[in-house]
Amino acid sequence: MSKTVLVIKWAVFILIFITSSALCQYDMVEIDNSVFGDPARPPSVFEHDAHNENAGLDECNICHHVYEDGKKLEYESSEDMYCSDCHSVKSENGSPSLRKAFHMNCKGCHLEQKAGPVLCGECHRK
Amino acid sequence: MHTIYQFVSGPLAWIAFILFAGGCIYRVAALLHTVYQKERFIFSYMSWRHSLNSIFHWIIPFASVNSRKHPVMTVVTFVFHISLILVPIFLLSHIVLWDEAWNITWPALPDGLADVMTVLVILSCVFFLARRIVLPEVKYVTSASDYVILAIVAAPFITGFYAYHQWPGYSFVMILHILAGEIMLIAIPFSRLRHMLFSVFTRAYMGSEFGGVRHARDW
Ligand code: HEC
Ligand code: HEC
Ligand code: HEC
Ligand code: HEC
Ligand code: HEM
Repeated sequence: MSKTVLVIKWAVFILIFITSSALCQYDMVEIDNSVFGDPARPPSVFEHDAHNENAGLDECNICHHVYEDGKKLEYESSEDMYCSDCHSVKSENGSPSLRKAFHMNCKGCHLEQKAGPVLCGECHRK
Repeated sequence: MHTIYQFVSGPLAWIAFILFAGGCIYRVAALLHTVYQKERFIFSYMSWRHSLNSIFHWIIPFASVNSRKHPVMTVVTFVFHISLILVPIFLLSHIVLWDEAWNITWPALPDGLADVMTVLVILSCVFFLARRIVLPEVKYVTSASDYVILAIVAAPFITGFYAYHQWPGYSFVMILHILAGEIMLIAIPFSRLRHMLFSVFTRAYMGSEFGGVRHARDW
């Protein structure tokens, strides 16, 4: 194999690698459930950008919220954090456990808007 | 879809649980009241020791003569009743819903184990059905209501099992499951399933009468 072909192959490989990881957020198709240790269900489907576009959710902090003194801050958001950074797997001093935080957030809005999945198997698809 | 789900898991669930709890309390109160009115002397020889002795011997497989006479029936009934009671109470899916609705939780059975126990309940129901159809002495005392009750008990388990595995028609079966569960809850105090409530009293009474009056065992 000639040297140039090899270089081109590597270049293409590295390019694909970089773009795919940069597009990670756009590629998000399910919510990582590894923080649960030994998850009981398949991870929930969630195509981040497509979902928010279809549902017309422009404000990031509908989900990526920040609280101060028990009140939600209107102009702050926390998309640089995981939900699990603030909601622990076991419920602590009144704030919802991680599982419940997800369920209240996702299922809560779907019930309210009468659109989007509400049954276990519609999100935790096998 | 959302409207139906909210209806069966909201108002209908409330009605089912209220009828279940209210019905159970009413049944037990009515039983005690009748005994008090008609045969008050029974209370004079009710004894904790004989009662617990009898309950204990009938609840442990093969600890009563009757259970040793029918080993297959004993094993099946035992597995059936244990699973029937434990699965709905300690199922993860059910606990998730209690947590969201009432902010209460308790430990769950592993899903795999609950799944196996569900299959055991369904197989037991098939066994009971076959027994009623095949054995002449059982067939003779069987009426249509026995089949209806068997169906009421089997339905939440069959639909729950089907839904858990997410086979085609998942959301429809899920709604059916909730309805089936609610029908079963209501049926407990208002059908022959009330033996679930009364068996403890029956054994306590039999145990006390045999132990304290006839000086014999009832197991
Ligand atoms: C419907 C709720 C919702 C909305 C609205 C939303 N997000 Fe997210 N986003 C999530 C969830 C859930 C995660 C996963 C968090 C976790 O794993 O803890 C996430 C993850 C992310 C991540 C990390 C991605 C990764 O691959 O790790 C970024 C970045 C992000 N969101 C940015 C945004 C931005 C920017 C907006 C507004 C334009 C937004 N989100 C709106 C729910 C939402
Ligand atoms: C910066 C920390 C932080 C992050 C990150 C965070 N939360 Fe929260 N969340 C809180 C606090 C604080 C509360 C308020 C708890 C209370 O009421 O005492 C809260 C409350 C909630 C509630 C209940 C109130 C409501 O808004 O309905 C839900 C549901 C919830 N969070 C879901 C999520 C989800 C889903 C994510 C990830 C997309 C997330 N949270 C990320 C801090 C955070
Ligand atoms: C603020 C409201 C809102 C929140 C929060 C929300 N959703 Fe949705 N979701 C919707 C709406 C509205 C639809 C229906 C969109 C449509 O009609 O296509 C939907 C649809 C969906 C669908 C089916 C369509 C698809 O994209 O495949 C899934 C899956 C879904 N949501 C998952 C989630 C998960 C998981 C979360 C929590 C991390 C979540 N949603 C949080 C509003 C919301
Ligand atoms: C609207 C979507 C949605 C619905 C409906 C939903 N969940 Fe979840 N659930 C999630 C998300 C998102 C998470 C967070 C991590 C993950 O699994 O991806 C989660 C987490 C969990 C977890 C903790 C992680 C694990 O696997 O052990 C359990 C258990 C769970 N869900 C069970 C259920 C059950 C049971 C139902 C039905 C009663 C249900 N969920 C309905 C979205 C949903
Ligand atoms: C208000 C009534 C009820 C509701 C809302 C309800 C809800 C549910 C839900 C959401 C699931 C999970 C399905 C999935 O994973 O996708 C489930 C499963 C199941 N439920 Fe119920 N349920 C109810 C009553 C009952 C009752 C009364 C029984 C039994 C007597 C029962 C037995 C089961 C079983 C056996 C499973 C499947 C378990 C398995 O195969 O692992 N449910 N139920």
